[in-house]
Amino acid sequence: MHCKPICKTFFLFTVIILVQLLLIGTAQATPSFARQTGMKCNECHTIFPELTPFGRLFKLGGYTFSKSGKSYEFPPPLAGMVQASFSDSKSLTTGVAPFDKTNRATDRINLPQQLSLFYGGRIYDKVGAFVQATYDGVDNKIYLDMTDIRYSNNTTLAGKNLIYGLTINNSPTVQDGWNTVPAWGYPFASSSVALTPVAETIIHGGLDQQVGGLGLNVFWNNFIYLGGTLYRTVRNGITKPLGAGTTIDQVVDGAAPYWRFALEHRWKRHFFTVGTYGLRADIFPSGNTIGPTNRFTDVAIDAQYQFMGTIEPEDAKDPAKIDSKPKAVAGHYIITAHATWIHEKQDWKAGFPLDNAANPVDYLNTFRMNFNYYYRSHIGDIAGSVSYFSVTGKRDPLVYSASPDEGSRTGSPESNGFILETDYRPWDKIKFSLQYVIFNKFNGARSNYDGSGRNASDNNTLYAVVWIML
Amino acid sequence: MKKYILIIICFIFFAALNSRYVNAQYFKGTDYEKGKAIYKNKCQFCHGIMGDGKGPASESLLGHPEDFTDSKFWKDDVPKKIEETIRKGKQMMPAFDLEPGQIKAITVYINGTFKNSTQNNK
Repeated sequence: MHCKPICKTFFLFTVIILVQLLLIGTAQATPSFARQTGMKCNECHTIFPELTPFGRLFKLGGYTFSKSGKSYEFPPPLAGMVQASFSDSKSLTTGVAPFDKTNRATDRINLPQQLSLFYGGRIYDKVGAFVQATYDGVDNKIYLDMTDIRYSNNTTLAGKNLIYGLTINNSPTVQDGWNTVPAWGYPFASSSVALTPVAETIIHGGLDQQVGGLGLNVFWNNFIYLGGTLYRTVRNGITKPLGAGTTIDQVVDGAAPYWRFALEHRWKRHFFTVGTYGLRADIFPSGNTIGPTNRFTDVAIDAQYQFMGTIEPEDAKDPAKIDSKPKAVAGHYIITAHATWIHEKQDWKAGFPLDNAANPVDYLNTFRMNFNYYYRSHIGDIAGSVSYFSVTGKRDPLVYSASPDEGSRTGSPESNGFILETDYRPWDKIKFSLQYVIFNKFNGARSNYDGSGRNASDNNTLYAVVWIML
Repeated sequence: MKKYILIIICFIFFAALNSRYVNAQYFKGTDYEKGKAIYKNKCQFCHGIMGDGKGPASESLLGHPEDFTDSKFWKDDVPKKIEETIRKGKQMMPAFDLEPGQIKAITVYINGTFKNSTQNNK
């Protein structure tokens, strides 16, 4: 794919903005949320992008909390992000780097893997936004990435605080504040060029940037969260900009409802969350915009645990600097764990008669869990994590057909494996990650899964990424 | 197309209905009313509606937001303490870029609302 003039313009514009953000100076050379609130990045993030309980409230507050006395932010809350990565796997066949113009999808070095511009913060008074425009260095395209525009206010209900708000966004689960949901789930970054299992639920990125939705959410007493959004395909109308730059290959018939319910409880420095979420979408077979549709119904349960660390005095050696209450600056030890299980019913009302599916109804189950440990030391934040993932479901040789590398010989969607990762954040705005993905089973088998002699372990991937926020 | 326009108009209308000018220079009310609006927008998130330091974000912070209903808070020069804290920040609380009139209004509101709570409740 050749870079179009608009793509080059965006690239140039982004570089200029990033350089400008660098030159602004230390006081403002932090991402827009930190500049707006005057708070450090780690108040809202364990290590970005994972949110702390405070970060969730900032998000539910519509990104509007500000240290400014005005109703708007000036200069506008812009920020930038650069990801540069290295991937190594047997699935990468040519590996000519960098910038192998003949086949970027097999580059081992992606420089950049991703380049993003954000509008992140308050627009006016109680309306704020997280808008991400991205240059994808692998697909060589620009598009409107995660977008969440919110209105938020608060009041009291039964004597307890009630946060309520509206959201306009372009990806199911992007409006959510917990890192168990697909849009913000683990792994927080992964290789763009390595092979991944073919089977995935529709809620797990299948409609990202292809739909626009209007939703409502409430959070009462830091305990009960309830939200719902109605999505429609962004083919035309006012919502069309929400899908700018994205090719629409999943056209939803009518509206697709998304719902979310969660309970959060705090005990000392421990935060527990259990919840459920789901989506139902009637989607036309590929290439169609009229006629019968296939129905995808996703129902998920999730759980999260966060231990936000111990409270330690800022300067324990100088009692004169300590007030009557401890000056807590950070939890030195942080532990988080996430788990989510998604069950998808695939009703091939259109696909089965067209021989696109071998069964009238298929099922797909995905399970992911991860455990993260963070240590905030004097030389920066150090993290380690381990994750297990699993995809199971009904065999369907037409939905999961055999083909070299990416197909399934058995017609089974089953895959599972582990992810090991370590992170180092020496400064607020830079993170280094090293990740290793291990597949026990890939597209239905351990060995010769594609019918062409390829084994699951051939897709094990080593991934290193430098993540810079400006 | 009309549905999309209607949705956007509803969003803007809902937001507009619930929006308030927090910039004191635009406010026409008394200092107390100005202070109440600013407090709701800037302080309530952590310090709470009752001023007891138990706002929705307080549980998430490692530190403890100031409790304005605690009699200890009212022992010192409160206006000076509030002004310095807002200007310089304290513990996890960031410094705020507020105008003198806004700080004065917040002080009036805190004094007029929570000091009475202290006398009544403690």
